[in-house]
Amino acid sequence: MASDVFTRWRYRLVPDKIVGEVLSKNWVDTAIPVLFLLIALGVFAALIPTMFTAGSMSGMTRTAGEYLLVALGLTIVVMAGGIDLSVGSVFALANLSMLALGGVVGLPWGVAALLVLVIGGGIGLVNGLLIGYLRLRAFLTTLVMLIIVRSVTDTLLLSYSKQISSVQIAGPVWDFLAFKTLFGVAPSFIAALAVAALAHFTLTRLRPGWHVLAVGGSRRAAHNAGIDVRRTVCLTYVVSGVLTSAAGVFYAARLASLGNDTGLGLEITILTAVVLGGTSLGGGRGSVFKTVLGVIIVVLITNSLIRLGLRSGASSLVLGSILLIAVAIDVRWLKNRAKLLARSYVSPTYFALPPLQKVSRAPTTPYAINDLLSDAEPIGVGEVDGPEDVILDDEGNLYCGSRDGDIIRFLAPDHRVREVYVHIGGATLGLAFDRDGSLLVCVGGMGLYKVTRAREVIKLSDETTRSWLSIVDDSRMRLADDLDIAPDGRVFFSEATIRYEMHDWIIDALEGRGNGRIICYDPRDGSSKTVLSGRQFPNGICMVPDGQSFLFAETWGCRISRYYYDGPMKGRVEPVIADLPGYPDNINLASDGNFWCGIIGMRAPAFDLAQKMPKFRKHMVMQIARDEWLYPNMNTGGVIKFDLQGTIVQSLWDGVGERHPQVTSMREHKGYLYLGGIFNNRIGKYKIPGADPNWTSAQAYWGAKP
Amino acid sequence: MDGALRPNTLLEEAAVVVRVTAPDNLVLHRGDVLFSSGSVILRLDPATGSTTEMRRCGAEVTALGAQGDMLAIGLADGTLILSGETDRTIKTGDPCITALTPDGAGRLIMCIGSTRNTAADWKRDLLQGGASGQVRALSLADGAVQKLADGLSWPAGAALSGDRIVVVEAWKHRLTHIGAAVLISDLPGYPARLSPAPGGWWLTVFAPRNQLIELVLREHDYRTRMMREVDPDHWIAPSLSPAADFNAPMQGGAIRTHGIIKPWAPTRSSGLLVRLDADFRPIASWHSRADGRFHGVTSALQVGDRVLVASKGGGAILSLPAVRP
Repeated sequence: MASDVFTRWRYRLVPDKIVGEVLSKNWVDTAIPVLFLLIALGVFAALIPTMFTAGSMSGMTRTAGEYLLVALGLTIVVMAGGIDLSVGSVFALANLSMLALGGVVGLPWGVAALLVLVIGGGIGLVNGLLIGYLRLRAFLTTLVMLIIVRSVTDTLLLSYSKQISSVQIAGPVWDFLAFKTLFGVAPSFIAALAVAALAHFTLTRLRPGWHVLAVGGSRRAAHNAGIDVRRTVCLTYVVSGVLTSAAGVFYAARLASLGNDTGLGLEITILTAVVLGGTSLGGGRGSVFKTVLGVIIVVLITNSLIRLGLRSGASSLVLGSILLIAVAIDVRWLKNRAKLLARSYVSPTYFALPPLQKVSRAPTTPYAINDLLSDAEPIGVGEVDGPEDVILDDEGNLYCGSRDGDIIRFLAPDHRVREVYVHIGGATLGLAFDRDGSLLVCVGGMGLYKVTRAREVIKLSDETTRSWLSIVDDSRMRLADDLDIAPDGRVFFSEATIRYEMHDWIIDALEGRGNGRIICYDPRDGSSKTVLSGRQFPNGICMVPDGQSFLFAETWGCRISRYYYDGPMKGRVEPVIADLPGYPDNINLASDGNFWCGIIGMRAPAFDLAQKMPKFRKHMVMQIARDEWLYPNMNTGGVIKFDLQGTIVQSLWDGVGERHPQVTSMREHKGYLYLGGIFNNRIGKYKIPGADPNWTSAQAYWGAKP
Repeated sequence: MDGALRPNTLLEEAAVVVRVTAPDNLVLHRGDVLFSSGSVILRLDPATGSTTEMRRCGAEVTALGAQGDMLAIGLADGTLILSGETDRTIKTGDPCITALTPDGAGRLIMCIGSTRNTAADWKRDLLQGGASGQVRALSLADGAVQKLADGLSWPAGAALSGDRIVVVEAWKHRLTHIGAAVLISDLPGYPARLSPAPGGWWLTVFAPRNQLIELVLREHDYRTRMMREVDPDHWIAPSLSPAADFNAPMQGGAIRTHGIIKPWAPTRSSGLLVRLDADFRPIASWHSRADGRFHGVTSALQVGDRVLVASKGGGAILSLPAVRP
């Protein structure tokens, strides 16, 4: 259809998925303040022609330096889930004490400054003790501290202002701090940037910083994780106090003046800067870079408003309004971000499957439906949770994976005794034995692992090369699915999708895009390389005995292909079956030289049509609840046997769909077929009529043990 | 759903009177319980569950109505048979007779689900946004037909309340007095026939509402292409029976996990019988949920202190005590 052609090109040319991928990045929170900054810059540059002259900028860096120091302290407090309103008063007290200690008392300025920092830290410590250890409300405590420190400052000011004003601090360094700039930038700003760099490093790379974020994110979880919550909270106030008094010292150097209005309303200005930058008042989210942005915006606005001739009252009004808007955006954004992300992340594209073959109970059709699998003997009913793959060793013990990251073993010969062979974590999916009898496992959420005969778990691969143009980090392995081992020891394994986590794997079906890849792990040098990418949920992998190629199934593509990794055809992909009526999963060898393939679900014409109408799927994802979304029919499945030419030799179904509604894996062993299912609570054992009763896949792969 | 419509499994656990293919309209005729199954009308002994064939018609029976000696039979080809001493055959012209209700005053109230689609093609009518249904009154004395209402969204049942006619509009999930007020709206499914109960009514609901189906009803392009390109058995549309087809569409919450389907899974079929009071307000309900068998309830008939329920999709006639659970 003409409209299909248009739709196909429309979705091929416009990569909608970028929106969701960008939104899923942590740095997207910073996009709003950056945008705000650009707008503010534009507006004020237009209004005030002299705004961005070197002199004007240099002046702004002086204020900005002081603000930034205070804001950094407050950021750390807010990130730990608190608030510090006392900064304005502490700032004023620091200014006063600096001038008093350095001037009247006559201490060397360095010593005086150090003492001032101790005073600020002391006030912070009182805050911290009250809030952290005595569990008082941060808001009230620091509000009271604001008033107390302000009163102390005012009282001191009344008594000593004359004496203090009469003495000036002197010295070359002090003068440098006060009047000079480095390349047009005030020393206070340089100092603040240095502190910012340190704070950034601490918060993102060091243990104390992580503790702050953890406490802000969830006090209880942090406590349960063994973090000393009280001490962490307390220390954030100390840091805030120290940084605020440092700003006070710079202020003293700059103006050397006393006044009743020093630091008045500073807490609102700084809070505006912090919240505007995107640090959340709820704690746990934020960054130093955001605060730097916020401070620049606030300084820009206050400066510009003064230049525009607004009265100071009006300037506060503007700042207050901005704070209000920023808080509103913060609250709404935090509340809805996850929801927005979950829905906007799914990005359907055009995909047309070949015409659907009729599937019926008529025994003449290759996929004739029957009920053979509903007679399979159950193993471990209720003792397994999602055995995606099953495998048997030389002794006939049966192994399977599980949803919660175990490898379960049922002991030969009757498979009645169950034991947890090893616990790995993630979701244990595809299994294969290597030449030494070690078990290789694909673990969803983790990567490729090896379990030795001594039950030692070894990580083989969890990252591959990152592609340059991918927005999501595709070096990490999200969903390693199935594997097989080449005769030379190389492991080829599929990663079903790079866009969804293990628990959301089925949502990948709604996209209709090739989000998966096949990776080769080479044990000789431990490297992992992507050999095929852009595949539609590559799933089962099975070596062809020619030593040059393997078969792989693309689940959402309903096809099985053959990839040559060696030999004259190296690098080629050939279709084997391109029009399956169902969704293929794992592929394994059969005793007669053919291949078994699990069918996890059947094509539904209504879903096939939806795959050709991406807009419909997008509306579905946006408008209705997740459990109501349309998928292929995953409640019907079975096993097919096919040969290398793509001929269907046999098909086995559970027509009723009660015992094995979806089959993700099957393994032939001594005349029986063992069945696994990712949503199932059992393993099935089906007697294959006429199959070789001595054949095992381990022998077929690695030869008989001497 | 909450209150009177709070889900339970009472319908699923009800006593099975008889298993039969697609049982439909239950009526009481001369003291006998009759029901239709395909083109056959059967007599049922509710005590033993034995059935005897009473009449075989030339087409599928889509509705039955009984009063006194008269049995009215609506057929899928649009023929209406009035069977009494002798048979009278009337061509209605619309192969979509969904319910027949004698009014006790010499008239037969006929529900014509749609004047555009046949009774079997009800899914198409829903997806087309069908609003071409009619309610007609047929005079039993002279055969004159009077149109009482038209432009209805699949009238699927009617009842006489005092001197007014109440009609069920399936696609609008509501019951209305003809030419007057809406009695109840926003039912959680697609309602079908109404039958009298002491001091109230039995309302059958043949399929549940479903978010995905309602999305499809809003999505014009997808809906039209689906109707054009996909077999009706595989449509995203309400269904009378649980999906057994290999190629039926499936919703994410309905994946069979650990061998079971959740009762609250999204479903296109379910079984629901609602007891309404004299003012047509729901006071009790009997359910067969997503994991159940007795879906597609199209007809109920109270006989003594029990109510017989035809689960057309589940292929069974069930018997329940006619008291509120």
